[in-house]
Amino acid sequence: MFLDGRLSALSLEEKHARSPKSPLGDGDAPVKSPSLACIYRYTPTPTIVLDASMTIVEVSDSHHALSGRTRQSLLHTAITDILPAEIPAPNIPTLYGALCAACSTGEVQVVERILPANKILHNLRVTPIFDGSALIYLVLEALKLSEEAQSVKHAYMNETYKILVDTVKDYAIFMLDTHGNITTWNSGAAILKGWNTEDIVGKHFSVFYSPEDRMAAKPTRALAVCLREGRMEDEGWRYRRDGSRFWANVLITPIYQFNQHVGFVKVTRDLTERKEAEARMTAAFEESSRLKTDFLANISHEIRTPMNGMQIAMTMLADTGLSSAQKEHATIIQDSMSLLLQIVNDVLDYSKLSSGSFSLHSDVLDVNDVVGAVLRNCRPLLKHGVDLTATIAPDFPKRLRGDPLRYRQILQNLVGNAVKFTENGYVRVSTTCTPDSDEKGCCTVRTEVADTGIGVPDNAINTLFTPFTRFANSTLRQYQGTGLGLSICKSLAELMNGTVGYAPNPEGRGSVFWFTARMGGRSIVAPPKARTSTSTPVDRNLSMEMRAIAPHKHVLLVEDNMVNHTVMLKLLHSIGFTRIDGAWNGAEALSMIKKKPLSYELVLMDVSMPVMDGLAATGHIRDMGLQMPIIAITGNALQGDAESYIAKGMSDCIGKPVHRDQLLSVLWKWIGT
Amino acid sequence: MAPTETTTKAKEEPPKPTKPTKPRTLADMADSIDQETFNQILEMDEEGEHDFSKGIVYGFFDQAENTFEKMEKALDDKQLKELSSLGHFLKGSSATIGLTKVKDACEKIQHYGAGKDETGNTDEPDEKVSLGKIKKTIETAKKDYKEVEAFLREYFGDDAEPTSSS
Repeated sequence: MFLDGRLSALSLEEKHARSPKSPLGDGDAPVKSPSLACIYRYTPTPTIVLDASMTIVEVSDSHHALSGRTRQSLLHTAITDILPAEIPAPNIPTLYGALCAACSTGEVQVVERILPANKILHNLRVTPIFDGSALIYLVLEALKLSEEAQSVKHAYMNETYKILVDTVKDYAIFMLDTHGNITTWNSGAAILKGWNTEDIVGKHFSVFYSPEDRMAAKPTRALAVCLREGRMEDEGWRYRRDGSRFWANVLITPIYQFNQHVGFVKVTRDLTERKEAEARMTAAFEESSRLKTDFLANISHEIRTPMNGMQIAMTMLADTGLSSAQKEHATIIQDSMSLLLQIVNDVLDYSKLSSGSFSLHSDVLDVNDVVGAVLRNCRPLLKHGVDLTATIAPDFPKRLRGDPLRYRQILQNLVGNAVKFTENGYVRVSTTCTPDSDEKGCCTVRTEVADTGIGVPDNAINTLFTPFTRFANSTLRQYQGTGLGLSICKSLAELMNGTVGYAPNPEGRGSVFWFTARMGGRSIVAPPKARTSTSTPVDRNLSMEMRAIAPHKHVLLVEDNMVNHTVMLKLLHSIGFTRIDGAWNGAEALSMIKKKPLSYELVLMDVSMPVMDGLAATGHIRDMGLQMPIIAITGNALQGDAESYIAKGMSDCIGKPVHRDQLLSVLWKWIGT
Repeated sequence: MAPTETTTKAKEEPPKPTKPTKPRTLADMADSIDQETFNQILEMDEEGEHDFSKGIVYGFFDQAENTFEKMEKALDDKQLKELSSLGHFLKGSSATIGLTKVKDACEKIQHYGAGKDETGNTDEPDEKVSLGKIKKTIETAKKDYKEVEAFLREYFGDDAEPTSSS
């Protein structure tokens, strides 16, 4: 470069010296003796020489090959009048920038990597020639890049990166041209996809896709997305050369060269192993969680039995005339024992709930009764000066269908907590019922327990319903527990299709805990204790509700006596059942059930029948593992008959003659929502 | 299915010409027929007719007469078990219609046949005693049956005006 500069300086000086006399404009004039001016005329480097007015004063013969224009047509033309590509320059602004910089700084300027018409990369070197402070010439030389520079640049990466990419074996890294045809291939790609370089280069990258993906033009879309977004990432099945597939993560990035899109880089990772490992991890986790639950359940159960024994013994011991000091110790033991038993019960419930083996028992539920019972139960623990009250909406249904025991368990827990943590003020329980808009006859019962107790610190709110977490400082003996209570409440509420929640008491101090539970049957009658001689109007509701669900229930009626069979059939129809199959003895019923074991949601079964009686048939049905309600219809009203039928697998028992209301309430008990 | 079948059968057999001295109402029969149960059957009828209930009742007549015949045969053969089973069978259908007296008699037959006393609570080891009691009870049952049959045939009488429910 330095040498070039010196040479050009020399030549220009010479030219400058001769310029007035020399017929430089006449390009055809033969040069008689080699002069320095010949250098620019015959240099192998395509060169244009401008004077200070930016007019072309000399063009090398070699320039012709590059621009395709004759020397004659270029001479005496202003540089502004020829196309940038013919100089060559990338564009007019770049060229002007380079010329101005050269003139103003007096330094050599280089415009790098220009792609002229012949597709060979060149740099344009602009050399300003000053005589003192006056610009006299500008020399523009197109310098071809070396072979090595050409090829490396063409691969768009330097040697280091090339080696890196070539040796990576876990990733398939390759390039595509603008159309998606493969241009490079690394060893990772060869290993992952099973293609060798010779076979794959030139093929379209859609060969890695499934036929369906190709049909859906997924590869083409991927490139379009990639161009639009600047990158494209995807996970999915890709195919190897042998047709086997793997789960791949694919990243495609477009490549630009001087603002020109030249292709894509594609990186493919095989995630199959990672996916499998994830599956194994999940399975292992589930297994360990199940083992933990089983262990908890077993150990808790084993603890409970001796605990009960101890409790009984303690109660007996306390009645043996103890001294006051002994009595105090006995009381401590009893208190600790009941706490321990509570903890064991909690753990048992929790393990049952978390293993999903907890089931609800649907029964008639009087919410008001339950709330009253819970309040009575908690009142002895109430601190002096704390007010415990309950309010219930006036239109609250007297009876609902739900699990009274579990409803009570949640309420007991929340009220118990509130009472435990409230030193003064109040604990208020309020219950409301909202009819369900989705399902007729169902409603959501929301129960709120508000207190003025210690409240819940902000940092504990998120873990409030998480098992084994307790926010109350465990070192305070005052507050004891397992940290399972609220998590059990949450699970129980969810089992009842409800939720639990917490909010700070809006009246300042304390908390509001609430839970919802979905219950069936907004107004159902209690099962009649004794048959009434006239039907009561209350039955009308039940009858209507039954009518709503009956058409969806498939019933099997088993009765050998034609008169009874016909009347029962009519009775069931009048209640609203439309899908009733009839069988005339136990064997027939059994074969019908065997044909479609899961079809029947209810079986009404006479007890004494020829061929096979109702009890034998029930035994067989239960042996098949079917749990649908089987209701005995019997003329035998002897004390103990019903019990013995139930012991033999029947669910309930109705005496003959069957009365509509009685049948309704028994059916509702078993198949009511 | 069953109702039409029984109706046909019932039509084959014309009502017996046992005319009561004066027309009786359902309420008059309160001892023999349980009102609530029988009304339940009547309520299953379509408005203004008694096709269903009549079918059921006449079907029961067939069944009862058939069963009495079988009982007498079993009595001759001293088949206690069979007698008990027949008693139980007729007890079911008579209960369904609300024929309390027939039902009670049948229940006794069921218990006697099973070697028990009339309540079914105490054992009666002597077969002869049981057979003797059954013989008497069948008589009672038949008498009770004839009484309600006459009333019911009159009630559903083909020639009589459709009796509105009392």
